[in-house]
Amino acid sequence: MTEEDEPPPVLRSWAQVYTFILVYLACLIGLFYAFTVHFAP
Amino acid sequence: MRPLDWVVLFGWLVFLVSYGLWRGRGSDTVNQFLLAGKTMPWYAMGLSIMATQASAITFISTTGQSYVDGMRFVQFYFGLPVAMVILSATAVPIFHRAKVYTAYEYLEQRFDSRTRLLVTIVFLIQRGLGAGIALSAPAIALSVILGLPFSVTILIMGCMVVLYTTMGGIKAITWADVQQMVVILGSLILALIIAVWKLPSDVSFFDAVRIAGAAGKLNVVTTHFDWNDRYNLWSGLIGGGFLALAYFGTDQSQVQRYLTGKSIAQSRLSLLFNATFKVPVQFFILFLGAIVFVFFVFERPPLLFHPVEMKRVEQQAGQTGIQDRFNQAFEERQGAARRFKDASVPEARAAALRDFQSAQKGLDSARKEALGLAHDNDTNYIFLTFVTKYLPVGVVGLVIGVIFTAAMSAISGEINSLATVTVIDIYKRHFRTDVSDRHYLIASRVATAFWGIYATVFASVVRGFGALIEAVNLVGSLFYGSMLGVFVLAFFVKRCGPKGAFVGVLAGEAAILVMTRLTSAYLWYNVVGCIVTIAVGRLVSSLTKESIQK
Repeated sequence: MTEEDEPPPVLRSWAQVYTFILVYLACLIGLFYAFTVHFAP
Repeated sequence: MRPLDWVVLFGWLVFLVSYGLWRGRGSDTVNQFLLAGKTMPWYAMGLSIMATQASAITFISTTGQSYVDGMRFVQFYFGLPVAMVILSATAVPIFHRAKVYTAYEYLEQRFDSRTRLLVTIVFLIQRGLGAGIALSAPAIALSVILGLPFSVTILIMGCMVVLYTTMGGIKAITWADVQQMVVILGSLILALIIAVWKLPSDVSFFDAVRIAGAAGKLNVVTTHFDWNDRYNLWSGLIGGGFLALAYFGTDQSQVQRYLTGKSIAQSRLSLLFNATFKVPVQFFILFLGAIVFVFFVFERPPLLFHPVEMKRVEQQAGQTGIQDRFNQAFEERQGAARRFKDASVPEARAAALRDFQSAQKGLDSARKEALGLAHDNDTNYIFLTFVTKYLPVGVVGLVIGVIFTAAMSAISGEINSLATVTVIDIYKRHFRTDVSDRHYLIASRVATAFWGIYATVFASVVRGFGALIEAVNLVGSLFYGSMLGVFVLAFFVKRCGPKGAFVGVLAGEAAILVMTRLTSAYLWYNVVGCIVTIAVGRLVSSLTKESIQK
């Protein structure tokens, strides 16, 4: 196994880790949007 | 500051510098000094990257920005996780495979020495300017708050930075950053708890959040598109994404951090750590600023937070009128806030909200008038005033100490990267190409000391540059677009050769200069500069029919 093939410590592949991060970002923005709307004057 | 605060402040400074020196021992080869022998674990790199960005900006400017403008600044970071994913998948393995000390070394492998030299010079100019600003603004604020002469504050910071970066190299910097980031986060949490605890007994945490919302401070996401609006969802995702790509992918001060990783996986994890935590941490810091705003709804704030400017305004004839109007508006706003939180029916809440907003306008107008008479930025003093006047003895010293070291952390990373580029991309490449490792180690230490002294002197000359955080990002955005463009050409555009890359960078910079005339929303400079560099680079390579990738 080359250095580049070293798997991530969580999930099965780097592609899955990247997907997780992007979904997490989308959820975060969604939560922030809800927060903004809820507390808007 | 009371005696115990001074003891804590100096204790923290001495501890941090000693800890950095201790962890940096054994940096006696160039590889150890500049890349920590490629032994760093992901969490140390990740926290160090976060600490470098956090800087004194986090405490001084971001909280103040939230107080004045609300939380929408967090959108600036929305593109960062996307950039981290792209860089983990592309730049990290490429740089590791190329076995380089600097990102610009790779440009010579891919294009030629001319392109490498051009981008190196762009980096040295951009980072050299940034280093001065990042040290100057917190030093001004700290000297005003502590009552120390500006020159003494700058000298303390400069000497300590030069000491541990020259002795311990990147290892000392990284481990000092880790320690510091943990204390920064702890201090921020403590500051939030104390801000909530110091609210009047009839105002709960949830009341405070509702009042912050009523004041328009919880405007985290703004979805409308406006070319001239600096912070909205789109400028954050696109402009902020490009800025983060450029910052983490082409700026040696960041690239060098993840080049110290044991492996590609460790370097990737350090970036993905930032992708996961950077946005929530910034949200938290801005939220703290919003809560400090609510704290000052119930505790009378000064007309201006900058103590020296406040005295200047007070001394000007006829200014008592401003203070009276400010005081009256403060009382009205406080009463309206209480009615708002106690209202049980929507009509009463709406009426209280109207009163609150009207009183807020009165306060803003009085402050604006006073700011017109002041000569210095006030935003950077809001959180510092809260810290020094309302936090308990001992905690004040710790928070001020953390602000000191946060400024030093940003500078240490910058001077280390400036020294690395000076030695590897200029000295070793163009002057002494083949001498001993010990010679380059000494050259690296001398270059580090030189850039440290330069940053200290430059910081004493550049006094005050608007709100600190915007100034730093603005300077970066004047250069990052073209730097990112040339790396995109190097990584992905196989049919681009050295001529195209060189002309592309120049065209990108020209485009950014034109953009500065069209809009002040600097996040877009990165997008335009990058696109123009890529387009012109590709076009020139086609027209000149130069050879494709080596």
